Amino acid sequence: MNRVFKKIAYALVTIFLAITTIFFVIRLAPGDPVEGILGPKATGLEILRVKKQLGLDLSLSTQYFIYIKNLVQGDMGRSLFGAKNITTLLTERMKPTIILACVTVPISALLGTFFGFWAGVRKSRTFDTFSRLLSLFALSFPIFSLAPLLVYIFAIKMNWLPVSEWGDFRHAILPALTLIIPLSAVVMRVARNKYLEEVHTQWVMVSRAKGLSEMAILLRLLKVCLPTILTVVSIQLSVVIAGTMITETIFDIPGMGSLLFEGIQNRDYPIVQAVILYSTMMYMFIYFLIDFVNEKLDPRIQVE
Amino acid sequence: MKYGVSILTLYLVWALLWFFYKYLVKGSFFTPYIPEMNLEMELAAPFSHGLILGADLMGRSLLEVLSAGLSYSLLVAIVVTFFTASIGMTIGYLSVKANSTFRALFDLVINLVFIFPSILIAIMIMAVSGQSLKGLIFSLVVTGWPGYAKIARSEAKRVLSLTYVEGAKAVGMGEVRMFFRIIIPAILPVMIVNMVLGISGVIISEAALGFLGLGGSPYSWGAMLSASKTVLLEAPFVAIVLSLTMAGLIIGLNLFGDGLRDYLDPKEN
Repeated sequence: MNRVFKKIAYALVTIFLAITTIFFVIRLAPGDPVEGILGPKATGLEILRVKKQLGLDLSLSTQYFIYIKNLVQGDMGRSLFGAKNITTLLTERMKPTIILACVTVPISALLGTFFGFWAGVRKSRTFDTFSRLLSLFALSFPIFSLAPLLVYIFAIKMNWLPVSEWGDFRHAILPALTLIIPLSAVVMRVARNKYLEEVHTQWVMVSRAKGLSEMAILLRLLKVCLPTILTVVSIQLSVVIAGTMITETIFDIPGMGSLLFEGIQNRDYPIVQAVILYSTMMYMFIYFLIDFVNEKLDPRIQVE
Repeated sequence: MKYGVSILTLYLVWALLWFFYKYLVKGSFFTPYIPEMNLEMELAAPFSHGLILGADLMGRSLLEVLSAGLSYSLLVAIVVTFFTASIGMTIGYLSVKANSTFRALFDLVINLVFIFPSILIAIMIMAVSGQSLKGLIFSLVVTGWPGYAKIARSEAKRVLSLTYVEGAKAVGMGEVRMFFRIIIPAILPVMIVNMVLGISGVIISEAALGFLGLGGSPYSWGAMLSASKTVLLEAPFVAIVLSLTMAGLIIGLNLFGDGLRDYLDPKEN
């Protein structure tokens, strides 16, 4: 119980520090949202009036205390542009990102583990060489160079899929593919290396000697390798769920990544703060979840 | 490893040829050659107008623009990797030696750098420093060092428990001397492998920033890719050539890094 309490306290401190840092950093950075709202021709008086309206004329510390006070009450404020309520904006923009994350990360985890183990079993044979080469190629195309190629092949040449935007199932295929290719390649490499590390240990030899079937040994190996694989997968999940800025920009997906990008570009402070709060919370949540699962899978982890 | 070395040599020769061309053939040392814009040749197809790879959106020879981008991204990657690795190595080592307060602070800073999207950090730094090469390099260093620090920390922990290090301590070797004479040589193999793989990481991050309009140069491959995306229908060759060139360099670096790892760490085989 004490451990759980400690962890929650640690998470809360990290979240608090993250939102405090972002609050001050984004306000101290050059660039003014009011100039963005009013355009370059605005007079000083107008700027002052709008600043007063938005509460940006107050001192930084006062603004900060108001922000924290509202946040504790569950109010994240309104966007500086268009005065949209942040909570509704977030729930709107969260959907595509979460859908994308929930599709791509599990698929690449399964594909990566499966092919990684298979490659490990067939070490130095054709399948191993082939799949290692394939994963190397997959990792060498960054998302922003992979995406145009995929769009060119599947949307323009073959005309099978729409180029961009977000709508039905067909719109999700290309962005999902763009993410699955590099993610599964990483998982595959990790799974293969971990398998090869474990397969020569003594307990595998003992299991084989006492006549366990290869399938049963493989299942036990999977259980041993799972914490390592899950750790990698959890990092991927926290990255994708925070919003993949580049993928979302390329495919015009109205998700968290593109929201953050717009927010930073416009200096829309409440949006940036809210997105950072969201991604930090997600990060912490996934971090603890995976910690918990890994402890259940391998009780030795807790001792360390 | 063999293939990695040959691919990398090819790219390095290409970059050197470009420098030669830029400073000695077409321009002089004081007025380096810049690829010419020629709006009449906008998006000329490959093998037309005497251009092997055709022309880009502004009618510049794609081969020349690509070469400028190659030398630029190699330069950025090497400079950034040098700084991130040195900073990461020092801080990682210090965090092993230091007391628990410093270690907690270290963990916190690393966590914060991981939580904040690197693009956000880059945009903030660029907003202060202006969109320049210096700002770009600085922001890549700021987001890049925690990775090296983590590796250096676990390596330093391992090395510090070795007997010959204890021996050095026993004969009274000073802290600074020990860091340079014993720790660095011992963790260098692992660091070098990570630096080679890190160079390809920096090339990707630099291009990602360029893609989002935060590059330090108009010849950033990312910026060019982002521009080519808008003309994917009319001139797909620009995006294809760019993607393949960049992927080739990264494949070379990754192959070389993997080979180096196997070579330096025989227990894996």
